[in-house]
Amino acid sequence: MELAWHALLGLFFAGYLVLGGYDYGVGLLLARGADASRRRAALNAVGPFFLGNEVWLVASAGILFGAFPVLEGELLAGSYPAVLTALAGVILVTAGVQLRSRPESMRARTTWDRVIVVGSLLAALGWGVVLAGLLQGVPLHADGHVAGVTHLFTPFAAAAGLAVLALTVAHGATFLTLRLPAVEGDRLRPLARRLLRTALVAVGAAVLVGVFSDRVRAAAQRPMVGVLLAVLLVVALLTAWVALGRRRPGVAFAATSAALALPVLLVGATLWPYVLVSTVEPHASLTVTDAAASAPTLRLLGWLAVPLLPALLGFQAMCWWIFRGRIDGRAPVYW
Amino acid sequence: MDTLLLARLQFATTASVHFLFVAVTLGLVTLLVGMQTAWVVTGNHRWERMTRFWGQLYVINYVLGIATGIVMEFQFGLNWSGLSRYVGNVFGAPLAIETLVAFFLESTFLGMWIFGWHRLRRGVHLALLYGVAITAYASAFWIMVANSWLQNPVGYEVRDGVAHLTDFSALLTNPTLWTALGHVVSAALLTGGLLVAAISAWHLHRRTPDFALFRSSLRIGVVTAALAITLVQGFGFAQFAPVGGAQPTKFGATSPHAEELVAEWTARFGPGDYLPPVLSSFGLGFMILIGFALGLLWLFVPLLWRDWIIRLRFPLWLLMLALPLPFVALILGWIAREVGRQPWVAYGLLPVDQAVSPISPWLMGTSLIGFTLLLGTLAVTNWVLLARHAARGAADPALGRPPAQPPADDARPEPAFA
Ligand code: HEM
Repeated sequence: MELAWHALLGLFFAGYLVLGGYDYGVGLLLARGADASRRRAALNAVGPFFLGNEVWLVASAGILFGAFPVLEGELLAGSYPAVLTALAGVILVTAGVQLRSRPESMRARTTWDRVIVVGSLLAALGWGVVLAGLLQGVPLHADGHVAGVTHLFTPFAAAAGLAVLALTVAHGATFLTLRLPAVEGDRLRPLARRLLRTALVAVGAAVLVGVFSDRVRAAAQRPMVGVLLAVLLVVALLTAWVALGRRRPGVAFAATSAALALPVLLVGATLWPYVLVSTVEPHASLTVTDAAASAPTLRLLGWLAVPLLPALLGFQAMCWWIFRGRIDGRAPVYW
Repeated sequence: MDTLLLARLQFATTASVHFLFVAVTLGLVTLLVGMQTAWVVTGNHRWERMTRFWGQLYVINYVLGIATGIVMEFQFGLNWSGLSRYVGNVFGAPLAIETLVAFFLESTFLGMWIFGWHRLRRGVHLALLYGVAITAYASAFWIMVANSWLQNPVGYEVRDGVAHLTDFSALLTNPTLWTALGHVVSAALLTGGLLVAAISAWHLHRRTPDFALFRSSLRIGVVTAALAITLVQGFGFAQFAPVGGAQPTKFGATSPHAEELVAEWTARFGPGDYLPPVLSSFGLGFMILIGFALGLLWLFVPLLWRDWIIRLRFPLWLLMLALPLPFVALILGWIAREVGRQPWVAYGLLPVDQAVSPISPWLMGTSLIGFTLLLGTLAVTNWVLLARHAARGAADPALGRPPAQPPADDARPEPAFA
């Protein structure tokens, strides 16, 4: 039961990084200084999916609270600055994207676009650091609380934050090659490939820093699984790079999506059976079972999830299906 | 400054701002459902234009509902980690259900509704709005289940200092739940109705074009608000009995039962001040005052006859002036309910000082100031945008605007985004 909820939590957070990831990637690409109509086109490429993307984050938080209350408290309070950064970013993006086209003046719209860029940056960095914080362990004491926040400020956390940032930009650019009208999308291909190379370097750097970090090595319960998944991540990025070269944006997007989901899997699998490893007191570490809610709660939520999950995924799939394909001059424009 | 005070301040600010927006969301979506249904059933173009105009305001308002809602949700873990540690097994369940059953679907539907204009069949497009409305109400329901549990913890047992769920149905039959739910939902309808009435009144007063559209809107708004205020009052008075039964110390009452309870808490949790601050009774008193004042909304209903409400003009003024009242009452109501629960997070079970996260005051203060500024700025910006769009009128809202038709002689339409 706990395992199923652990997997579900991973699924929703990975889903958020994949879907929210291209929102933020597209958001960051607004910084390129493209002209106003191009920026608007990019945002409307995300258009109908935007609201359905960020809810994956809210659902992850809901599952975290309902099924892993103890983890919820310690993880969020224990990674305070990183979560705060990410949240501020999420809010700026959500307000920016939805409000940027409401004023008529181009000046106001450009200002909102800057808000979106900053928000996307904060969100990508913040979640990257949160994931890194899990992987390098936290000072969890015997009283069950994480002490202090300075434990977050390590080279590995910085490298991981940058890696997630690079991943989202590359992912966003790949998304645009898939969604924009064919001519426009093709024009973005060289940029997307360059960004994929950057992401490769950033991910490689984060992996190296991680492998040489004592804290990561001590916290990792299954280091080989971690390394294997990191290699897979690199393979996914290479696949995307090759696929874009061969004008296969669909394949490339699938590959960058995998690349955004893999960090979550990597953290979950490397720490298994723990979810929060203590760097100060081995006995204080939380296993998945320790962190989970008690049996009656999980049973209740389980009964609910069985009919609900197909509905949730079904309606999301409906949205993807209705608005599939490239946008064209006849697509509704709202953001 | 201590961490506890800062955390409480942050909760109060975020919750207040959040509620100002979600009440409008809930109220407006109900009216939108009526308007779009009328459009689909009658095929009358005016209903479509009304749906677009009020829908545009609804969508703008929704933005801040999400933004503040996300902060609310994460705030529990960030600032109140004791809450998840001690009572998360019970309190977490309705919140998890809310995010999955309600919010997740609500936003998914709304995205499709906004972009589905001119693209989906009418029936499907309308069904999406019904989906948005139903999930919005479900959201209100589950949040009130969670909140009522904090007001009056039921259906649990404590083992090793941690609450475990024993009877989920007790959460759904919580005496503090149903009347409070009725009260807030009707308060939301009141707010939505009065908003529609006041904006319409402005247009009718300024004699902008679209007389027919705003006349209908005014009538819908006034009737909704009048019906809603009666429900608000009914559910409001009906709340006293269950709330008083569950929380004898609320509203500064000094009954023998309350004294007994305080004595018992002193024995269990040590000496302390177990009576809520007077702010709570202040909130209650002024809310009820506003509630009685708004009861006068019924006087506007007969004036709808032969458009006297418009011809006399001063009723239009009164409606515009009354608009802030429900918003103020909403905040006062939450002050009454939440401050009246002090010093408990979960009444009689978990005191606030045990629930707050062990965070340094500096960090908590930074978060308080940062998020208050951020959300405050966004809220004000949002209201300015709302006011501008309300004033701009229903000529051509961006929502539901037909996409540019590609020129007939152009085989490969270039995208036209402007
Ligand atoms: C004659 C009028 C009213 C009466 C008798 C009344 C009564 C009450 C009572 C007794 C509570 C406290 C419940 C608790 O502490 O648990 C309450 C709460 C509240 N009130 Fe009112 N109220 C009135 C008018 C209004 C109006 C006009 C609004 C807003 C438009 C409003 C909004 C609220 C809200 C948001 C709450 C908190 C949630 C809840 O308990 O439902 N009330 N009201």
